[in-house]
Amino acid sequence: MSASAINVHRRLGTHRPWIREHAVSLAFLAPAAIWLLFVVVYPTFDTVRLSLFNESATKFLGLTNYKTVFSTDTILTAFRNNVIWVLIFPFFVTTFGLIFAVLTERIRWATAFKALIVMPIVFSTTASALVWATIFDNSPQIGAVNAAALTVSDWFNAPGAYPVSTSAGQSVAGLVGSNSRAEKNSSIVSISSARAGGSINIGLRDVSPATLTLLKAQSAVKPQRVSGAITGVVWRAFSPTAPTNTTDILPGELGLPLLRLALVNSQGATVATTTTTTTGQYKFSNVGKGSYSVELESSNFSSGFTGISWLGGSSITPVSGLGQTAQALLAVPLADIAMIIAYLWIWAGFAMVLIGAGLASLNREVLEAARIDGAKEWQVFRRVTVPMLSPVLAVVFVTMIINVLKVFDIVLNMASGSSVNATPTLAVEIYDDAFTGGVHSGVSSAIAVILFLLVLPAMIMNLKRIKGV
Amino acid sequence: MASVVLRNLTKQYPGNNAPSLEALNLEIDDGEFVCLVGPSGCGKTTALRMIAGLEDVTSGDIEIGGRVVNDLPSRDRDIALVFQSYALYPHLTVADNMSFGLKLRKVPKAEIEEAVQSAAKILDLVDLLNRKPAQLSGGQRQRVALGRALVRDPAVFLMDEPLSNLDAKLRVQTRAEIAQLHHRLQATMLYVTHDQVEAMTMADRIAVMNLGVLEQYGTPRELYNLPKNKFVAGFIGSPSMNFVSMRINRDAERVHLTGIGADSSIKVTLTDEQSDILRKSDGDDIVVGVRPEHLIEGSIDHAGFSAVATVEVIEFLGNDEHIHALSGDTDLVAILNAHSGVARGDSITLSAPLDTVHIFDPTSGLRLN
Amino acid sequence: MANIVETTDLTPRRRGLSRRLSTKGPTNIVLGIIGIVWLVPTVSLLIISLRPEADFGVSGWWKALLDPSSLTFSNYRVLFDQGFAAGGLLDSLMTSIEITVPATLLVTFLACFAGHSLVFGRWRGRDVVFLVVVGLMVVPVQVALIPVVQFYHELGDLFGLNPYGTIPGVVIFHVAFGLPFGIFLMRNFMSGIPKDLLEAARMEGAGEWKVFYRIVLPLALPALASLAIFQFIWVWNDLLVALVFLGGNAHTPLTVFLYDQNHELQANYWIISTGAIVSVIVPLIVFFSFQRYFVRGVLAGAVK
Repeated sequence: MSASAINVHRRLGTHRPWIREHAVSLAFLAPAAIWLLFVVVYPTFDTVRLSLFNESATKFLGLTNYKTVFSTDTILTAFRNNVIWVLIFPFFVTTFGLIFAVLTERIRWATAFKALIVMPIVFSTTASALVWATIFDNSPQIGAVNAAALTVSDWFNAPGAYPVSTSAGQSVAGLVGSNSRAEKNSSIVSISSARAGGSINIGLRDVSPATLTLLKAQSAVKPQRVSGAITGVVWRAFSPTAPTNTTDILPGELGLPLLRLALVNSQGATVATTTTTTTGQYKFSNVGKGSYSVELESSNFSSGFTGISWLGGSSITPVSGLGQTAQALLAVPLADIAMIIAYLWIWAGFAMVLIGAGLASLNREVLEAARIDGAKEWQVFRRVTVPMLSPVLAVVFVTMIINVLKVFDIVLNMASGSSVNATPTLAVEIYDDAFTGGVHSGVSSAIAVILFLLVLPAMIMNLKRIKGV
Repeated sequence: MASVVLRNLTKQYPGNNAPSLEALNLEIDDGEFVCLVGPSGCGKTTALRMIAGLEDVTSGDIEIGGRVVNDLPSRDRDIALVFQSYALYPHLTVADNMSFGLKLRKVPKAEIEEAVQSAAKILDLVDLLNRKPAQLSGGQRQRVALGRALVRDPAVFLMDEPLSNLDAKLRVQTRAEIAQLHHRLQATMLYVTHDQVEAMTMADRIAVMNLGVLEQYGTPRELYNLPKNKFVAGFIGSPSMNFVSMRINRDAERVHLTGIGADSSIKVTLTDEQSDILRKSDGDDIVVGVRPEHLIEGSIDHAGFSAVATVEVIEFLGNDEHIHALSGDTDLVAILNAHSGVARGDSITLSAPLDTVHIFDPTSGLRLN
Repeated sequence: MANIVETTDLTPRRRGLSRRLSTKGPTNIVLGIIGIVWLVPTVSLLIISLRPEADFGVSGWWKALLDPSSLTFSNYRVLFDQGFAAGGLLDSLMTSIEITVPATLLVTFLACFAGHSLVFGRWRGRDVVFLVVVGLMVVPVQVALIPVVQFYHELGDLFGLNPYGTIPGVVIFHVAFGLPFGIFLMRNFMSGIPKDLLEAARMEGAGEWKVFYRIVLPLALPALASLAIFQFIWVWNDLLVALVFLGGNAHTPLTVFLYDQNHELQANYWIISTGAIVSVIVPLIVFFSFQRYFVRGVLAGAVK
């Protein structure tokens, strides 16, 4: 149609000058084009050039910088972290997006729900990172996750009255004083044994005065012997006046209350349990024949939940038994997991919106056809809905991969001192190398180029898609 | 194969004033080919979808093969549905599309293979089995949709305007193929369409619907010759029946009907029988219907209908001509032989024999003769 | 007269993905739980910012839910009392505005012109240019940072005008990296405008500028809105570029402010949370006011 319009113009001689018409259109494009050329296109090439030179760009180094990249520990760690991100994040964010999109189709308040889930994208990653750093904080006072974990853990494994913190270097064996030895299962057993009517006394050391004050311990008193029963006292065998005497119960030494004791017969089976009083005394009544020993159960010494250090330096090692470097490379820092969870919170909404749009554009009749063909709801979903959604799912997946290759803000703001070495990503490395510490070497340019190469496949996919239109 | 019975089937969407389907009663015999026809919004597709289990029943019963299926999910009703848009699985090949249902039922591979092959042969799809729907033409996709239904070997075939997305020529061709298929399978088929030609040519019986209500249910012949009301009369037949509003003149012997006002040239004379049946008074209004194919140019003896009209438009169709003529204020359409020699602007007389004239009550629309 | 087919309204078809209404209850519950979980981080931040500093290390923020009277605006008062002192909250807020608004306006402005050119221009190579733009969309900023910083310094050496460390320097960079997506968005939207409209205008003698100004631009306003909002939120929330170009500067945007607080003065949770809430309010307002356009921008980003 436009061709005939032009012909009309040509015939009538009213045809506008070619150059003038195109000049305006080109002038429209020019500012943006120039801007892009100067600030994006040319610098990209320049980065490639810089990656081949040394820091002051004077000496041509060829691929030396790249070799450095692949042999520097911190950079390799960054690679590993990016790999972790790429392997975990896109899959989960797409899955969450799919589940949310499918579920919101059925409810009336879908718009409100979607707004809720999408909202985190609007917060800066910085602010979000800070929020989640708080949530993952070590202290159950501050960190919601650890607080919840503490509550659950206390249910199953409450701390004992005399917690021994192995992480602080303490051990159950360190408590052993008089007539006692530590067992492998973190309990303490009396060395002596007794028969009915007898007595077993156990002395412990290194019990903190604070604990004793808390438990309202009283002076230790040796109990009377009772026929048919086994009695005794468990006390803190420490007196400032006679520190080396741990066998006698000296005045001023305190009994240990609230200790759970088990009466163990000669075969090693527990026949009774009891708890010590505030003076440290205990009594097992109606003891049967044979000789018995007394055990201080391990639960007395369990420290309970001390908190998972989410953002600390600990890692999960899925594979073990490799050399040190390889081992380090295959460990998954817990902090990475925490950061991925935070990032999921931010981006699940994006996936949900995109997949929701794809879902809405599905031909409903195909799903009805599946139902008539005999598919149950789950089968319809798995065999028809998801395959039909695969283009959208792919777009989300790839977009998120690219996003995650460049991840920066959240790492910078969530990683604390102890995890900073374990969690950097490539983007963080580039920043660290180029912009902190003054001199930027060609290495950071090399990393940038590698980053670009990693992103290239996505670019090609996009181009193919657009071209095919 | 099974019969389908609809009892007082009603569908009311919340938020709509009127029900989409109102107390529909329909019986489709085992092996019958029944068409549901009507204009958009008449409820035919709603009825079909309810039978298929894709819409809930507001009230009433649906029986397939003697059992009430209201609460059964679609997959347990032993039906197959051919969608207007074909609704093929885009990510599966033709063969997989057709075998989808059987695979779900864990039918052995060999049986599936056989069923697909035989359906493909019948529908001429053998060469296309490995293609995906995107690579097929409209007509081919339509056949795949049919094939998918065929492979299921259901008790009832349901079809929702399957031909409306095809071009005219393909439509005619496929119409014949479907009719042949029915004949071959002796299957119960329920076919929804808005095209009365399809209904007339394919159906054993036709149910004409309008605004949620069943207007008439009968064989094509019955609908054509003995339409129950003005709607059915006007819906069946193409070009559709001419309707003229007229006034009753009773004289001692007969009842004459005269066109009102400018249409005074239009005259209808009734037989004795018809006059007796007509319980209307002198001066009352009445509606008269004559089919275009029954109008003849010129006067005839004992004409039931005659009118003088001026030719406005002539549509030449090869063997026939469709003449649009104006008589007074009324447009009349007549089908005349192409050699009639009628020209634009001519004043002609159009007549029709007595037994081709239908009389309708102006308010209820019921046919009175 | 004769063959009137009455077209009544088509009855609405309720075709959900699943007709199993029996699962509606559990679905609502599950989504309700998910919604609450999603809100927890934001709410927690808000509550932390509203607690007196002393409470912070002592008890979890959830305790405040049981005792609402303990909440106070004191943290905000302290920060706002600082006024516009350099490096303070309000100063950072201003800096954020100074960076984001020009960047958004420029990108929107340039992109709609460029989009028009790429859709309605009839010059050779037009499609190639568009493909280049699409390709540029995935280029990470890291790949241009170092050379641009160097370039800025060189400009300083040559002309005495060094954009490094200045707000224009940041804006220039943001505009450049916002353009590919912006042009993509505008181009896609504009290609949906019927070409006949422009042909008709051209036949009546309108030049390219008039066509743009009177026909394309008014029709493209929704897309412009989407782009503006998307760009606004993107630049407002950026950390990396701001750190690179303005790190250590006296005036930094909110993201850098928060980062500094977090890393140098780590214990100051009350400042951090208060600052974070303030930094979040502006995008939130933008988001809620223009939700429709925002979502459309998100969709356009990944869908053709």
